[in-house]
Amino acid sequence: MSTPMDTLPQLVIRPEFENTDIKDAHTGNIAVELSIVEKIWNINGIRKAVILLGLVITWQIYTVALDVEPLMFPSFLFSLERLLVDLFTGDLIFKIWFSVKVLLIGYSAGMAIAAVLVLWATASRLGSDFIATATAMFNPLPAIAMLPLAMLWFGLGTASLVFVLIHSVLWAVALNTHSGFKNVTETLKMIGENYGLRGVPFVCKVLVPAAFPSILSGMKVGWAFAWRTLIGAELVFGASSGSGGLGWYIFESSQNIETEGVFAGLFMVILIGIVVENVVFRNVELRTVNRWGMQR
Amino acid sequence: MNTLPQTVIRPEFEASDLDAANHGDVARRLTAYERLSNMDSVRKFSILILFIAAWEIYTRASGVSHFLLPKFSDTAVALFQAIWSEQLLIMVWNSITILVTGYAIGLAIAAVLTTAAITTRFGSDLLSTLTAMLNPLPAIALLPLALLWFGLGSESIVFTLLHSVIWPVALNAHTGFMSVSETQRMVGRNYGLRGMTYVVKLLIPAAFPSILMGLKIGWAFAWRTLIAAELVFGGSISDTAETQSGGLGWFVFSNQMDMQIPHVFAGLFTVILVGIFVENVIFTNIEIKTVRRWGMQTS
Repeated sequence: MSTPMDTLPQLVIRPEFENTDIKDAHTGNIAVELSIVEKIWNINGIRKAVILLGLVITWQIYTVALDVEPLMFPSFLFSLERLLVDLFTGDLIFKIWFSVKVLLIGYSAGMAIAAVLVLWATASRLGSDFIATATAMFNPLPAIAMLPLAMLWFGLGTASLVFVLIHSVLWAVALNTHSGFKNVTETLKMIGENYGLRGVPFVCKVLVPAAFPSILSGMKVGWAFAWRTLIGAELVFGASSGSGGLGWYIFESSQNIETEGVFAGLFMVILIGIVVENVVFRNVELRTVNRWGMQR
Repeated sequence: MNTLPQTVIRPEFEASDLDAANHGDVARRLTAYERLSNMDSVRKFSILILFIAAWEIYTRASGVSHFLLPKFSDTAVALFQAIWSEQLLIMVWNSITILVTGYAIGLAIAAVLTTAAITTRFGSDLLSTLTAMLNPLPAIALLPLALLWFGLGSESIVFTLLHSVIWPVALNAHTGFMSVSETQRMVGRNYGLRGMTYVVKLLIPAAFPSILMGLKIGWAFAWRTLIAAELVFGGSISDTAETQSGGLGWFVFSNQMDMQIPHVFAGLFTVILVGIFVENVIFTNIEIKTVRRWGMQTS
């Protein structure tokens, strides 16, 4: 019978030695001074601006060099010119204002209804069940699908647009706010109760700040849905309400086969979207959740 | 010192009139009603029933014109009629086929963009510039252009669907990959994972909550865009395309034009049902089998 000792390998002890042919350590500054080009290229904004410029130039060169039919794909400068002309001499600015106004009315009405619903849901189990059932049912229903009904009920006009916008904002905001409230830790709630907060002050001073990241994401989703719904609704039925809005401008241009007008409208849609997402919501974020250390 | 109040020492006393402590089981059996109403699904279901009953009673009692608000029973009948005799299921199938085509191609393009973005800095800059610009652009606004470029037909709808899927998916996947912790990356490299295996076995699972979020947002946008596109241009598309009968949005729109309001409601019900199915069956199942099982997300 072999003992474990037999199977162990023999211990090898290597002789000591000293390596003599190592060169002197090369100490010194190995950092390479970046060239001006590299420094500029390392600025984020510049790289992105260059990419944007590259895209625009590609577009311009492609359309001019290949002599693409402007009805199919107008050149960039042509579209930009149309945009500026319509902005300063045409009534595009009023159309934009019309869209933004309808959007604001619908958005704030939707938020107000969502607030009432969520308050009810925090106060009673019936309200909580109601909100859960209603959001499960209506959240998957695209708001634009309600437009035919809205036109039937409220006629052609701003009222039906506002109704559809409310529908697109309400459920997304209510769902996120409600789940945000439910996820507020018990500790925070008990602290609030300890301070003697009750009812609406409890909601405003404890629940809302604690659930704000979630509320904000609901507001962002609600905005995205509302913006898409509004453009879609105007694209179709915007003509009904007098001057019509931005979506109607796009649709009108495409009906008149003024494709450069379509692109001008798209530029405006993108611009407004960027302003709302990167200026309005970014600022709200900076002043609330970032400042409170809830989100980096 | 003389502002301090005097200390008052109360006399000791012993309460003698306490009853014998009444200890015992204070738990009370809940009544049948209480137990029933404690079940979540029962409560939610009864709210639904109440809602339907209120609808039915209101329409019957107030005698509101059935062009404005049809009775629930009429709507239910219309739904069954549409399913049995008006090929509603085929329309649903048409919509879903287009949706799946657009969604799948969109995912593929998003995957390519994201791969470029995580491997090179130029790709990353390109992706963030494109998403910043195109994500706020509602896909439906591109439909007029798509109709011009691709003509009336499902290609145009697929094009707009692509646009509605690519940006949210690419954006979320990219942020997901970027925020995989350095520790996990090093563990992966320690195991000798490289190239594709590194991405498939390490990056994707680690970034999956964020990817899934992108998939869900992409689905929500795509579904809304599809219904809107069909609602508007579905008619003209169905006239020319080989498919006989448009999609679900077209069903809603054409019935509204014909003042078949119960059928409009039936169409809306179908839209809701498809939406609920995708969100609560498909995505919830994916969630349960992946992120929840891996312990990355609770409930």
